[in-house]
Amino acid sequence: MKKFLTTAFLFTLAAVAFAQGAPTAAPAAKSLFEGQFTAHIALAIAAAGCGLAQGKAVVAACEGVARNPQAAGNIRTTMIIGLALIEALVIYVLVAAFAIK
Amino acid sequence: MEHHASLLAQWLTQVLGLAQHPWPGFAHGAALSILERYDHLLNAALAALVAMLFTALVRKNLSRIPGPLQQMFEGVVEWLKGMINDNIAHHGEKHLPFIGTMALFVFFNNLFGLLPGLSPGTSNWNITLGAALVVFGYYNFQGMKEQGVGKYWLHFAGPIWWLMPLMFPLEILGLLSRILSHSLRLFGNIAGEHVVAGIFFGLMPILLPVPMMFLGLFFGLIQTFVFTMLAVIYLSGAVSHEH
Repeated sequence: MKKFLTTAFLFTLAAVAFAQGAPTAAPAAKSLFEGQFTAHIALAIAAAGCGLAQGKAVVAACEGVARNPQAAGNIRTTMIIGLALIEALVIYVLVAAFAIK
Repeated sequence: MEHHASLLAQWLTQVLGLAQHPWPGFAHGAALSILERYDHLLNAALAALVAMLFTALVRKNLSRIPGPLQQMFEGVVEWLKGMINDNIAHHGEKHLPFIGTMALFVFFNNLFGLLPGLSPGTSNWNITLGAALVVFGYYNFQGMKEQGVGKYWLHFAGPIWWLMPLMFPLEILGLLSRILSHSLRLFGNIAGEHVVAGIFFGLMPILLPVPMMFLGLFFGLIQTFVFTMLAVIYLSGAVSHEH
């Protein structure tokens, strides 16, 4: 896994290096990390983090309901508020991704 | 973000024969009529109108033996009442009309994305920012009315006097960033869902968008709940006395 990540990282570096070193580039030479590519990668990372966090939240809520089914209503409300707050961070990235042309 | 006017705006432009011209700094200079440019206002106004129509209809036919529509609205009012009473300790129910109005406005706006030819008003930041600003103004006003102007602003400074210079700017920053988070959350969710449904529609117009539209129905409800809940929580934070 580590080897794969290192390789992938080197490949991206190489891509940047090639993009910058290309002599036939257009006047406004864009690196790989300008524009929509950044938005896609950022959104992917944000979604991954959000998935992990929301998973943790839902697991805790499920355990709570399983232990004490009578508190289901309160736990559900709190969970939805928490999920919305976690989700807001991804939404910020989504808005930023919309903003990147 | 690219601008896609709703089919209704395009159709109205054609029917009314409105002039189309480019708008500086908008949609890469595409020729749009005024209705296509301010599409979100058209949709939001329509949603508000539909909400008002429904509520007026219910109000007119109010009876002891409720019909299906009245029953539905009674459920909504009961639910909002419960939410407010859970969060605001004293005299919470006087805020019910405001909270209910915001909830209905946001809900109808969210669901307008599911009707063919329309786009949800809340998929434009201007509408959600307006809604969040109205909520912001309301809870600050109510807080000042309930606690007094001086006391309300002083409670941002915290209990320890020598931490005031640090706490006050931070709390004010937190207060202002609520507008941003409150509006962007609604906007991002609804806009994202609408864009994904549109992409699915582009892949295959029949049957493929249906699960996404069902998800849109669900998200519209959840986001209305979250928006209303957060408004109630902010309100309760503003009006609650610290004994």
